[in-house]
Amino acid sequence: MGLSSQRVELPAVIRSLTASKPIRGIGGFFAMTLDTLAAIPRKPFAWREFLLQSWFVARVSLLPTLLLAVPFTVLIVFTFNVLLLEFGAADYSGTGAAYGSVTQVGPVVTVLVVAGAGATAMCADLGARTIREELDALRVMGVNPIQTLVVPRVLAATFVAVMLSSVVILVGIIGGFLFSVFVQHVTPGAFASQLTLITGLADVVTSLIKAALFGLAAGLIACYKGISVGGGPAGVGNAVNETVVFTFVALFAINILVTSVGVQATI
Amino acid sequence: MNLSSTASTLYPGLRRAGRGFVLGFYRLGETAQFYVKTITSIGDAFTHYRVELVRLIAVMGLGTGALAVIGGTVVIVGFLTLTTGALIAVQGYNQFASVGVEALTGFASAYFNVRVLAPLTAGIALAATIGAGATAQLGAMRINEEIDALEVIGIRSISYLASTRVVAGVIVLVPLYCVAVLMAFLAARFGTTAIYNQSTGVYDHYFNTFLNPTDLFWSFAVALIMAMVIMLVHTYYGYTASGGPAGVGEAVGRAVRTSLVSAAVTILFISLAIYGQSGNFNLSG
Repeated sequence: MGLSSQRVELPAVIRSLTASKPIRGIGGFFAMTLDTLAAIPRKPFAWREFLLQSWFVARVSLLPTLLLAVPFTVLIVFTFNVLLLEFGAADYSGTGAAYGSVTQVGPVVTVLVVAGAGATAMCADLGARTIREELDALRVMGVNPIQTLVVPRVLAATFVAVMLSSVVILVGIIGGFLFSVFVQHVTPGAFASQLTLITGLADVVTSLIKAALFGLAAGLIACYKGISVGGGPAGVGNAVNETVVFTFVALFAINILVTSVGVQATI
Repeated sequence: MNLSSTASTLYPGLRRAGRGFVLGFYRLGETAQFYVKTITSIGDAFTHYRVELVRLIAVMGLGTGALAVIGGTVVIVGFLTLTTGALIAVQGYNQFASVGVEALTGFASAYFNVRVLAPLTAGIALAATIGAGATAQLGAMRINEEIDALEVIGIRSISYLASTRVVAGVIVLVPLYCVAVLMAFLAARFGTTAIYNQSTGVYDHYFNTFLNPTDLFWSFAVALIMAMVIMLVHTYYGYTASGGPAGVGEAVGRAVRTSLVSAAVTILFISLAIYGQSGNFNLSG
């Protein structure tokens, strides 16, 4: 049994302080994260749940991700092309499209949708089970909910985020290509040949690492909010709302950190 | 439907697909009807439910529950745009420096922040905080049958719940978007001048030269329209939630997904409409 499955009784003074609430939340989150990471290599691994969750997250995320990737990339390509046309350097529009979609649009769009669609559903599902006391029933039966429910979900979110972000990058670049060539009259050959001007292998690897970290964070936050739901049915709605907010905040924070590290490593 | 009530139908798979298509089409019409009704009831919300409107504006600005503890919507929107502004400093400065024109980072901040990053990020933040909150609230009301109760006691539920939230979301966005744009500018300036040690004079010169007031005005207009779209989507999913506590959670997820896509498409088409012909950009400033 892990740390978060035991109820640690705090002194009444600390419990009554409203200021200690967010700190306790952070503490609980870290405890669950450690439990989850420790339970990943432990056998038996919940393969069935992992496959089901991966399929579920991929199914609900695929279409919205593609729908979101195209306008994002086209917007960036369009803004960039206005600039390049003014300079008379429209041939470089492929450079902007590739750099924009590989370093930012790919991982960010993927995880916005994985967090918005997959993580919210995970949190709602776990939250509903928590308020029906199903998790307590599992604990009573000697089944560790972290190992059977949380680990497969977190890994599924990570796995799908990495897989989807490659698709998003591809679709983004194709969307940018079609837009640049057919709407803004950039030469197709020039677009294609400039794709790899400043975007190299290191950027792609950084981007995939970023997507994996985003997916991990989204899965962990969703599961933590789900298993710590309180306050009945209305509590589930609030927990889902908080999941969305916290995953987006974590996503943007991780994004700026990993981008800075990646830029230092690649240039 | 007397055909489908027979024991075995011809082409059941095809029939099911057709029914699915018709149901989807029906739902589209229902959604459009809800949006039109919400928009046309805005006047009603202003005249009859002014107290609720003011209360919602206060709640949305400050946030509720755990969000209020960490500073509410303002802090979250500010933080998200802070990180995207910092991206300009990190990626813009380094890429410009690799071709020797790092002096233009100020220009990148004035150009990309206003046209792309600030509206997109503010939209994402709005959908996550106020939007998802509205869906969760309305969904909880729906499954507790509070919305039916409102109708029974003679309150027009769409204008009382949905129209007021749309109006409040748009009004709250005005100060939020000011904070968002300022934070993006500040982060880009701080990152470039304090961390990468560019002189503030160089940065400010290019920033001020290329900061176009017309662009800022349009950026604001884009953000307001986007706020309206996001709030409409989120109130719809909350208003029609079903399936118990888990159903509310799923409705929030679906709403976030739909509103992000519609916000991105809205921004794209409005940007094309505004900047498509001329680009509204002159290198000479």
